[in-house]
Amino acid sequence: MKVTWKFDNLPGRLAERVRTSPWVAVVSGLARRQAGSGTAPIVQPASVAGRALTVVIAIMTFLACLTSGAVYVVNQSANDWFADIASEVTVQVSEGQGSEFEKKVTLVSLFLAKQPGILRVNPLSAEESGKLLEPWLGGSDVLSALPVPRLIAVEIDRSSPPDLNALRESLESNFKGVTLDDHRRWQAELRTVTRSLVLGGIAVLMLVGAATVASIVSATKSAMASNREIIEVLHFVGARERFIAHEFEKHFLNIGIRAGLVGAFGATVVFLLLPLTMRLLSGRGLAAAEFRQFIGSAVLDWPGYLLFGFVVVVVATLCMLTSRFGVYRILKSYD
Amino acid sequence: MIRFENIGLRYGLGPEVLRDVDFHLVPGSFHFLTGPSGAGKTSLLRMLFMSLRPSRGLIHLFGQNCSDLPSSERADLRRRIGIVFQDFRLLDHLTTWENVALPLRVFGESEASYRDDVTDLLKWVGLGARMTAYPEVLSGGEKQRAAIARAVIGKPELLLADEPTGNVDPAMANRLLRLFIELNRLGTSVIIATHDFQLMDQCDAPRLVLHEGHLEIR
Ligand SMILES: Nc1ncnc2c1ncn2[C@@H]1O[C@H](COP(=O)(O)OP(=O)(O)OP(=O)(O)O)[C@@H](O)[C@H]1O
Ligand SMILES: [Mg+2]
Repeated sequence: MKVTWKFDNLPGRLAERVRTSPWVAVVSGLARRQAGSGTAPIVQPASVAGRALTVVIAIMTFLACLTSGAVYVVNQSANDWFADIASEVTVQVSEGQGSEFEKKVTLVSLFLAKQPGILRVNPLSAEESGKLLEPWLGGSDVLSALPVPRLIAVEIDRSSPPDLNALRESLESNFKGVTLDDHRRWQAELRTVTRSLVLGGIAVLMLVGAATVASIVSATKSAMASNREIIEVLHFVGARERFIAHEFEKHFLNIGIRAGLVGAFGATVVFLLLPLTMRLLSGRGLAAAEFRQFIGSAVLDWPGYLLFGFVVVVVATLCMLTSRFGVYRILKSYD
Repeated sequence: MIRFENIGLRYGLGPEVLRDVDFHLVPGSFHFLTGPSGAGKTSLLRMLFMSLRPSRGLIHLFGQNCSDLPSSERADLRRRIGIVFQDFRLLDHLTTWENVALPLRVFGESEASYRDDVTDLLKWVGLGARMTAYPEVLSGGEKQRAAIARAVIGKPELLLADEPTGNVDPAMANRLLRLFIELNRLGTSVIIATHDFQLMDQCDAPRLVLHEGHLEIR
């Protein structure tokens, strides 16, 4: 018995598909554009409806890229931030006077450094602690007169974290007036806020996505309507459906890619300028520093820009498929 | 070659435009199709060209029943037929030359293989000086000749022409008629729809006369 493989010659068929795909034709056409072929394309290159379509695609791609970029950035910086916060706890030393106080801070720091699961202990100096309070209390004259508690920043090893409750208990039993804050409540609140921010962003993204799909489909349809004559004539001179569909796919994919790239380029410029404008707008001072820390990673990284590429591919494909279905629908009416 | 069996045609719920049309044309024949305006000449040609389905009856083209052919085979049959539309149907964004070359381009032939043929044909129909002009700026008669050139460039086995001389002077009409006769001599079957009696008197060809939905051969 002879066994025939269902996937016989699959690589060959795949290669054929790739070779005849409109993507290959358009992209290689874009590449050797300078050469310029002699005869005009069968599908009219620039019509009014086509120009309107170009504008619609560019704008919708721009919006879709902005939204997806923003959601991506928020999600990303929230993740980064959680990682930072989760790896730090603060120990507060509040009771003591003069050199006694300094000594107590040092003792607590040494004690902490000896505990398992702790990477780094960084006692803040009186000045540094004061700086943190400045925005609330004003100039440091006032501060020097007050018994300001001192903070010790403790970086924990997240791969084998210490038992924070045990640590808190042993700190409190060994020293008087020493508390450990693991930012848990703050973290929980923050997490809720950012999570709802990201969810909201995804909801907006879906709306923008739906609007993009709807407007591109309808703009492509109206551009196709003005091409009815061409489809008809091609049909009458004996062109096969696939030939006609292919010509239109190439044309609309071309429009989709070009206009999509313009939109994505616009969004890229916005994201490149974003950190700069933030800095200009928020001015100097602590608020700015906080703000910068929050949007610290508002800079889009390369997977973010890859997202833009994905948006362009989706938009161009949408445009192409709509034109194909448009061709088939018009041809149906002659059968 | 062409066989109509009891063809009836109506548009939507309207009256029957054609009734019990029954005829048979052999390969290499030459016919005029005539009848008053609105008699159904264009409709009959459209059915021959498979761009219109009859309401009833059977059409055989090149020995095949066209009603149950898949669309790709209908496209193949259409390649063997050249048609001149009453309203020309040239593409406005292509030059005269490109319009005429369109069928060959669609058939997938290389431009080098047909470049001279297209140019020669255009010269023959008197459009040698208008090859790079766009249809918009052509006169009615020039468009008509471009449309005829497009119909015959692919050396069809069957040529359908709807009022091909409606927009040209008698001298040009004669010239075009000679082109059709020449094609017919080379083996193409020709059907010319016209109500130009002067043209029909130029040559001794049988006439398919449409009258009140019926067809008669004289
Ligand atoms: N698409 C259509 N829908 C409805 N009725 C139509 C349609 N096309 C043609 N008709 C009707 O069918 C009849 C025949 O029309 P057709 O165009 O075939 O006539 P014709 O013989 O070519 O006329 P002319 O010599 O004026 O070109 C006419 O009464 C016309 O009104
Ligand atoms: Mg007519």
